[in-house]
Amino acid sequence: MKREKMKTISSYFVRLKSQPIEIVLFICASFSIVLLFLMLIFVAKEGAFAFSTIGTDLLFGQTWDIKSHKYGGFPMLYGSFMVTSGSLLISIPLGVCTAIFIAEVLPFSLKDPVKSIIELLASIPSVIYGFIGVIFLAPMISSFFGLPNGEIALTASLILALMTIPTIVGISAEIIGSVPKDYKEAALALGATKWQTIRDVVLPLSKSGILASIMLGFGRAIGETVAVLMVAGNVAKVPTPPWNYLASVYTIPGVIAMQMGEAPFGSLEQGALFGLGLILFIITFIVNTLADVIVKKAPVKGGA
Amino acid sequence: MKNRTKERLLFTALGIPTVICLIAFFWIVYILSMGIGTLNWKILTTSVLQGGMFEMIVGTMYLLLGAAGISGPIGVLAAVYLVEYAPSGKLTRIIDQAINNLAGVPSIVIGLFGYTFFCTQLGLGISLAAGWLTLALMMLPIVIRGSEEAIKMVPVSFKEAALALGTTKWKAISSTTLPAAAPGVVTSVILGIARVAGETAAILFTSCVLITRGLPKSPLDPVMTLSYNIFVKIVALGAPPEDVFGTALVLFLIVASLALSAIILRTHYRRKQPWLR
Repeated sequence: MKREKMKTISSYFVRLKSQPIEIVLFICASFSIVLLFLMLIFVAKEGAFAFSTIGTDLLFGQTWDIKSHKYGGFPMLYGSFMVTSGSLLISIPLGVCTAIFIAEVLPFSLKDPVKSIIELLASIPSVIYGFIGVIFLAPMISSFFGLPNGEIALTASLILALMTIPTIVGISAEIIGSVPKDYKEAALALGATKWQTIRDVVLPLSKSGILASIMLGFGRAIGETVAVLMVAGNVAKVPTPPWNYLASVYTIPGVIAMQMGEAPFGSLEQGALFGLGLILFIITFIVNTLADVIVKKAPVKGGA
Repeated sequence: MKNRTKERLLFTALGIPTVICLIAFFWIVYILSMGIGTLNWKILTTSVLQGGMFEMIVGTMYLLLGAAGISGPIGVLAAVYLVEYAPSGKLTRIIDQAINNLAGVPSIVIGLFGYTFFCTQLGLGISLAAGWLTLALMMLPIVIRGSEEAIKMVPVSFKEAALALGTTKWKAISSTTLPAAAPGVVTSVILGIARVAGETAAILFTSCVLITRGLPKSPLDPVMTLSYNIFVKIVALGAPPEDVFGTALVLFLIVASLALSAIILRTHYRRKQPWLR
């Protein structure tokens, strides 16, 4: 009895002794929450000032002109969505097909090298993508379409597609690869061909994961700054007609990066840029959270 | 038989996008490699003021090492907490969600935050230190996720053996689990460095200048970096892209070698350590 008591007490001390560490560890882990909160508060604080002065014009106003103090963010918002949807139109089919091919068709010995190259594609800095766009893609596109200037929404979409493909492929391939072997073998044993197995077993099981990867790709594309800025031409006007991909556009991250440096501290201009940043933050926050929820509810989960 | 050929065709069709991705990568490498002619040892080692890129290279290194020094320890400890200590409750779920969200914040927003919080609120100004903190913020999710995976891969029996010998939980983890997970942890930090090595938007208004006198002498001095140089020369100064060919190639080589070494390290240790897959 006495011994039993001693044991509980000693284990309590052991636990207490190890607790300071646990507290340190907990603090480290909760940094992410704290920082995310701080980010929201500080960006919102600066942006709120612009919203209270400019009002909904910051979202729907058509003209952005610093000289006449007009801060209408609609052309940028439109430009961002235009470039992002253009890039996704290219990267979704390419990315999903590549993911299926890597996970299901490619022989095992080739899987790792191909995956590694896609991973390298993801780690190329955006400024290099922008450089490639400026030095190669933009001149090519301008001569192909006979335009005076190749820095247009189409060029930006193409470069962005290259940048979002690795996100889509990486996550989709992982999810597709983690469909249990038993399911596939069961289908094969019933006489299904490999393609039928992929179409009727693998894809239905992994479709929510693929959807999540597309949403993360969207988040990455809409927040991309430097590469787009370098090749989009940066004209703060909704193209005419609005679906004209051969026109130059401006994006939200682009205008922030370009004009933050010159905006006087505490000015309305700076506030307006923070306001646009806040909108961007909220959009990506919602999209990423939704993607996370979808992945958590998915029938199969990736290894990571 | 007919079905089989049909399937062959279908799989080949599926392979085309994969080939396009691979070609895109090699095409990028090819274009960049054309800049090799503008590089020589002298340009790499002469000062920016005399048309070289010495301070930009060293400045980039300074930024990366500082950011890794901040996010590495915090990220690893956070990963230890999440894998070994975190109770499965609401708070843990929120932390997990926050890490994913942090990873998805656009770099320009991180830059805005760095500008208001680190530069203005904390009074660091446009400085190396502000850049460290901003980039550390971007690296953190990558380091945490990578370390988590590395720690999860270590068999529980290691820790249990230490616990059976009467050590405390932390002692058991720090003396058995962490050393075994070390290669994976290091890989995740290198991968994190590779991800932010060419970052421009986040350090645009927190720590960079185009030209300054020499290397930063204290953490409160601004710094010159490769990525910023490329960006400003093309976008703000409207220089012909050929002017920054060499800079772009050097930056690419740094990033690619970091990313490649992380990938190689990972494959190597997965093979070497029998308890890993």
